Amino acid sequence: MNPARFIGRILFATSILALPLLAADRPLTIAVVPKGTTHEYWKSIHAGAEKAKLELAQQGVRVNVIWKGPLKEDDRDQQIQVVENFMIRHVSGIVLAPLDSKALVRPVENAEKAKVPVVIIDSGLETDKYVSFVATDNLKGGQMAGEELGKLLGGKGKVILLRYAVGSASTELREKGFLEALAKFPDIKLISSDQYAGPTRETSYQASQNLLRRFGNEVDGIFCPNENSTIGMTMALRDIGRAGGKVKMMGFDAGSQSVEDMKKGDVQGLIVQNPLYMGYKGVMTMVEHLQGKPVEKRIDTGVVLVTKDNMDDPKIKDLLYPPLDKYLK
Amino acid sequence: MKISWRKHLNTLGPLVGLIFVVVIFATLLAWKDVMDGREFSGETGVSFFASIKDTDFYGLKAFLGGANAKIVLTQTVIVALGALGMTVVIISGGIDLSAGSVVALCSVVGAQLLNTSWASPWGVVLITVAAGGVVGLVNGGVVAGLRMMPFIVTLGMMTIARGAAKWLGGNQTVNFPDTPLLNLMALHKPDAFFPLPYGVWITAGLAVLTALLLRQTIFGRYVFAIGSNEATARLCGIRVQWMKVVVYALAGLYFGLAGLMQMARLAQGDPTVAIGLELDMIAAVVIGGASLNGGAGSVAGSMVGALIMTTLRSGSQLMGWPNYFQEIIIGTVIVLAVALDRLRHRAAK
Repeated sequence: MNPARFIGRILFATSILALPLLAADRPLTIAVVPKGTTHEYWKSIHAGAEKAKLELAQQGVRVNVIWKGPLKEDDRDQQIQVVENFMIRHVSGIVLAPLDSKALVRPVENAEKAKVPVVIIDSGLETDKYVSFVATDNLKGGQMAGEELGKLLGGKGKVILLRYAVGSASTELREKGFLEALAKFPDIKLISSDQYAGPTRETSYQASQNLLRRFGNEVDGIFCPNENSTIGMTMALRDIGRAGGKVKMMGFDAGSQSVEDMKKGDVQGLIVQNPLYMGYKGVMTMVEHLQGKPVEKRIDTGVVLVTKDNMDDPKIKDLLYPPLDKYLK
Repeated sequence: MKISWRKHLNTLGPLVGLIFVVVIFATLLAWKDVMDGREFSGETGVSFFASIKDTDFYGLKAFLGGANAKIVLTQTVIVALGALGMTVVIISGGIDLSAGSVVALCSVVGAQLLNTSWASPWGVVLITVAAGGVVGLVNGGVVAGLRMMPFIVTLGMMTIARGAAKWLGGNQTVNFPDTPLLNLMALHKPDAFFPLPYGVWITAGLAVLTALLLRQTIFGRYVFAIGSNEATARLCGIRVQWMKVVVYALAGLYFGLAGLMQMARLAQGDPTVAIGLELDMIAAVVIGGASLNGGAGSVAGSMVGALIMTTLRSGSQLMGWPNYFQEIIIGTVIVLAVALDRLRHRAAK
């Protein structure tokens, strides 16, 4: 590299440092980084972020929302790259759903060093260098699932927990909460809790088929901690003819397939979060922070138990069928 | 005289490609900055050139800035290290599909070693890199010993190493206490070009060494000879099968080191990381002018190839393009690069 270009680079670097000062009247640019982009769950988060943008526009605050997941779904290294590149771009703030509670710590701390604030949504991160943590109380969600399954089984039977993936803090908390609640039923026996559904419907379908090949005839109740594991397990239950309530199925999240399955009676209960509100609140919290208002370090976005009985309730309906079209064009 | 000129063109080709990519993105970003500025300030009536004056070109500055150069280099380290090993393998006429899995396996090996009380940081480095070498040794041994297609052998090893990584990690990501090894990939001062992470310097150093190995040593000559025509090489007295074992083992060492870097970058060992990374490495080597038929390729080309892919990603993200668009572009660039290479070769004949 010749000296002139080197000096040029240094000049560029320093001018970037000065950017936040110059850019005072620019619209805020907020990057929202999900774990992946194909799950319906993330589309709801996206819709929530857009909802926040529309509402802010009405208040006269111009916000640009950039929606960008890792290039490969569920790839930690790729998510780090996305965060780093947004840091370089000097967006006003990043709203991040970290794929891993540890691997994303350093990129977030680097962003903070580079004066790009980060709001964490959905899953926890093992640092305190963020503005706020906006998420479901996942432990509570898991406990609700465990209690409901215990009730459905009348306090006795054999239960399977199909885990989601390693290192995913949100689902691990649900699994923990579920096991805690289940421990209150001494006559319920956990026959498998060491299998993982993996990132896609296909992987979870396979894992479920393998599990049911072994335990299909003796299992009485199953809990799956997220959208694709719930769908995959329900498919596998139907294959062996034990769906429709023979095996009590508790799931998590309101994927449209899971809601259909619940209508048919193949799923007995779903613990439903409010991802739309999470996306909305994530962006709102970031904007409040950027405007210099104080924000809570932990914001709970709530969970609800949805069953066949309450699924037509208008409030629940909004959770099951989030009005995505209204916000995502 | 003429031949040496052509040789330079072969290494320069990818470099021209990289400069082309940078210029294209710089232009696009500058244009986007102006258009964004016009939209935000609402001065749509003013002429395009008038609004250039009022633009602060923050996207362009971010792209060409030293801080971005540092990030791009850091993001390239893992693929570049892998591409070094892959270059040697591909020049020898082989292929190694297990590279991504070996990276994951070695990241777990390193993480588990850091959890033991006896392994010093240097010990962790040595054993992790050696673990990659052992996998390569097995690859090479089977390819040479059983006279099997490297594609099949390493395809099998891809799954075996992935499984081994999950087994060794107990089906989990492996966390470890804080260690100086994390500095290998740490971005101290994310706002400036210097200091560069050690990983970048190590990769640059190894690239030079590998280029020397391939161009200036008998070993390098043999690798090219085997890749050009295995039968002729054997008739010339080269111990072809033995060389293959060494080539795959050497590549394994690079993949092991890439795994160590991956571990440092994630601050954990992750058995599910780097899925499909071998394809990125192969793409880098091929963009760099190597032939999958063997006998052609250069380290400089492969390094530039790896940089082109990272630059494409960084530029696409600054442009705000969606992921699917990026994937389509990267795929197109791979095909285009190779097509241009073929045309150049045909013209040279």
